[in-house]
Amino acid sequence: MFTSLYRQTDIQLRRGHVSDRREFLRTISAASLAAGTLSWTDLMAAQQTSLRRRGKSCILLWMNGGPSQFETFSPKPGHANGGETKAIPTAVSGIEISEYLPETAKMANEMCILRSMTSKEGSHPRATFLLHTGYLPTASVRHPSLGSVASQQLGDTAADLPSYVRIGGNNRNAGGGGGLLGVQHDPLNIRNPHRAPDNSSLTVAKSRFQRRLGLLGKVDRHYAAAVGKNEVTNHEKIYEQASRMVLSPRMSVFDIDEEPVKIREAYGEGDFAAGCLMARRLVEAGVTFVEVSMNGWDTHQDNTGLSQELCGQMDRPYAQLLTDLRQRGRLDDTLVIWMGEFGRTPRINGRGGRDHYPRAFNAVVAGCGVQSGQTVGATDPGGVEVTERPVTVQDLFQTICYLLEIDSDKENLSSIGRPIRVVDGGEVVTEIVG
Amino acid sequence: MFAHQRPTALAVLLLISGGLSSLPAESTYDGSPEAVAQRIDAELAREMQVKTGGPVAADATLLRRVSLDLVGRIPTPESLARFALNTDPAKRGKLVDRLLDDPAYGENWARYWRDAILYRRTDEKALISNQSLTNYLQEAFNENFAWNDIASAFITADGDVRENGATGLIMAQMGQPEETVGEVSRLFMGIQIQCAQCHDHPTDQWTREQFHELAAFFPRVAVRPNRNMTDKQNRSFIVFANDWRQPRRRKPNNNRRFPDLEHSMPDLEDPLAAGTRMRPVFFLNAASLDYGTPDAERRETLAQWITDETNPWFSTAIVNRIWSELVGRGFYEPVDDLGPDRDAVAPQTLEILRSAFVSSGHDLKWLLRTIMATQIYQRDSQTRAPTGKPTFAHFTPQRLRADQLFDALSVALNVDPSSQQKFSGRATGKGGTGKRGNGKGGNGRGMRGPRAAFNKNFGYDPSDPRGEITDSIPQALSLMNSPIINNLISVRRRPELRELLFQHPQNGDLVYELYLRFLSREPTTAEENQAVRYIQKVGNRAEACEDLIWVLISSTEFRHKS
Repeated sequence: MFTSLYRQTDIQLRRGHVSDRREFLRTISAASLAAGTLSWTDLMAAQQTSLRRRGKSCILLWMNGGPSQFETFSPKPGHANGGETKAIPTAVSGIEISEYLPETAKMANEMCILRSMTSKEGSHPRATFLLHTGYLPTASVRHPSLGSVASQQLGDTAADLPSYVRIGGNNRNAGGGGGLLGVQHDPLNIRNPHRAPDNSSLTVAKSRFQRRLGLLGKVDRHYAAAVGKNEVTNHEKIYEQASRMVLSPRMSVFDIDEEPVKIREAYGEGDFAAGCLMARRLVEAGVTFVEVSMNGWDTHQDNTGLSQELCGQMDRPYAQLLTDLRQRGRLDDTLVIWMGEFGRTPRINGRGGRDHYPRAFNAVVAGCGVQSGQTVGATDPGGVEVTERPVTVQDLFQTICYLLEIDSDKENLSSIGRPIRVVDGGEVVTEIVG
Repeated sequence: MFAHQRPTALAVLLLISGGLSSLPAESTYDGSPEAVAQRIDAELAREMQVKTGGPVAADATLLRRVSLDLVGRIPTPESLARFALNTDPAKRGKLVDRLLDDPAYGENWARYWRDAILYRRTDEKALISNQSLTNYLQEAFNENFAWNDIASAFITADGDVRENGATGLIMAQMGQPEETVGEVSRLFMGIQIQCAQCHDHPTDQWTREQFHELAAFFPRVAVRPNRNMTDKQNRSFIVFANDWRQPRRRKPNNNRRFPDLEHSMPDLEDPLAAGTRMRPVFFLNAASLDYGTPDAERRETLAQWITDETNPWFSTAIVNRIWSELVGRGFYEPVDDLGPDRDAVAPQTLEILRSAFVSSGHDLKWLLRTIMATQIYQRDSQTRAPTGKPTFAHFTPQRLRADQLFDALSVALNVDPSSQQKFSGRATGKGGTGKRGNGKGGNGRGMRGPRAAFNKNFGYDPSDPRGEITDSIPQALSLMNSPIINNLISVRRRPELRELLFQHPQNGDLVYELYLRFLSREPTTAEENQAVRYIQKVGNRAEACEDLIWVLISSTEFRHKS
């Protein structure tokens, strides 16, 4: 009986039929009642750890500003549009990427490189919103970010750590919030991966903090009795969650200095490296969605020089993140996405820069069941048009949801009760999921 | 005359209730706030079948309520004492009058509407108009411009968005016709016709054609960067009419420098095709304009039709919204979705208020005075019912908006809100380091400083149903652990707190003083005893005082208007 429950859990989760634990409880309770003797709580306690471990997680490496595809994953050395950037072979024969990414090249066997991403949105905030939510911004509906959707469908609200964390960047990117899902699915923002999250460290001794919480409960009780019973209940819920988090011994997952020197050195220097390392620690601790942001990709001038420098900061941490997740057995459950809001123009402008170009750009996915060691789609020799297997933003989102076992058809209600699908349109890119 | 294409719920309601004709003859009609409030009390009691119940709110409760609603901050202990000791029976009405004349009144409501408009922005560049928008609204409210004039100003605005704040609504949508008319309809009429953008409205009667006919009032609105500006740091945009230039070709982006001269409804099967050219037709009165009508005439005409006295949606939307903000529950919820297929709780009561508001000449100060004179506003509040039939006939606690909370903290902690101290958000632990926004591209202008950082953490869209707005963990964390708050409640760092301890050697007096300062009321005996026991248990008065302040700031009561 125990085994059959386990198997059913497994199947339900894998098929993506069950998206959160409460729903799981409902689905499976009939089976358990039929099964008989063991108490429900016993069963759940036994299953809890394995459920948690099986949960998919996602790391989004966000290249803020729109990285040049010519200087990263679609070099065109034979064409005038390709500029000075050369191509180098990778671990997968036949796949070549930019010379500025030598470490990443060694990990190509773990990656699926999408060379035919295409959209129409060329303005930073709108495209950033689109690539975070799958929708264009609109006044009537505040669409939630992918991270918030993951938090809602996969996250564990009873956990002491948040489900959705954003590291670095300016944390002000459009479309990063919970939107219509509510602030409980907003990310915890970490500006500096070298420090603890804002306001997460106690300002007084732990015993005094707990003493204060005790008094707060008593003070609130008077208000509940006189006026605001429901207001107090809601307020207490959040204070419980917040204090559980700051008092949790697991808060040290935010401290990358706990990592052995060898590991820290392997990720390299810089904020992006620290962010990648923190992301790995967070998904290991059960955080569902982590976004690590890297700024500076808006290379309107001196595109080659800047891209080379940026690739230098990005190359090692990215490759090491994949290596590390693989070695620790987490890569099969962790989807690692590399992308920005659009690509850059094929023509190099008068200042040696490239401008915004949403028509043909790159994204890379790895882990979590991705068919790796391949490229999907292609552009013409000048990189102007997608010539093969165009992938829209909605296609990409459908694919991500499929891989993470997120229900993309789930309808959430807007503030006026209008049902909004997680992803509207698009199809799973079968080449990616195999 | 205002001819409806189809009978709407509201129109039917007007017919049943006799609408405006049910008012008494003009000679006997008393439109004063007190007289209308009395009629509202009677009607609400009849409709809800309850006595407008509960005890009259204590002076202190009412003072805090009115202060938050009118000037956006809590009263000081001194003003509490003055108000409590005042024996004038008319003091409550006089308080309302006095605060309506305070310049902070306009500022408070300007911030409310700034949020209502900018929370729905589709482009971050819209934040450029943040300051001018707030300034315009502040002046409009303090000078008590009629609501129909304010609405018309937003619909017809043009010019530099840093200079003319009334362009804020158009700028928030970068002049996109569909988004802009959707917002005009939502904010000024409570009609969410934009849901019919792609298909006929799922629950209401509006059709896709009607929506795009409305959008056809706005195709010529253009937004372009103001190139004449020499100050690169303060880049700006101009909202202007494009009545002459056809775009060279339709670019697949959202550039609105040279938009089309007429609006087209896209072909759903073939989005890249030219679509169907639409004539400007207003869906509520079926009146139309010709193709080729200049932009100014289109928008002025639309503004007239929307704000016309015979359009019940326009007056219902504002009356319902202000009632909801003041009393804690709207006749319709959410406040920006009135139907047509929605039912108001207490429709006759709403109609009394609505028609009297129209008779007042769309006078917003009149509206506030009237609602504040009702029994429901004057009596004690009761908790918000989570589900089911809303308990409507009493005042419901209302979560403070970010600006109100910021100012409440400033008053209670005795800090100058304009100083560089900040309470939360991006606290660095050092405090006082002037933050520079995100500093790029002018996005942050007017959104810098401690208040902006605080609003970013604690803000919400005021059109959202209040029952659904919850605390977030970062909010709780910042009140819990912000080093800045911690410094502001530190007895060691704050001479005024040492003074407080010195002046009140009796623990009971100290507790009394703290409740007055933070919760704007006296503690009950039970509360006083509880806090005194706490101080005794801690043993160190300074430490216990800090704890008490921390607790009062973190309390549910502090976060709410009740």
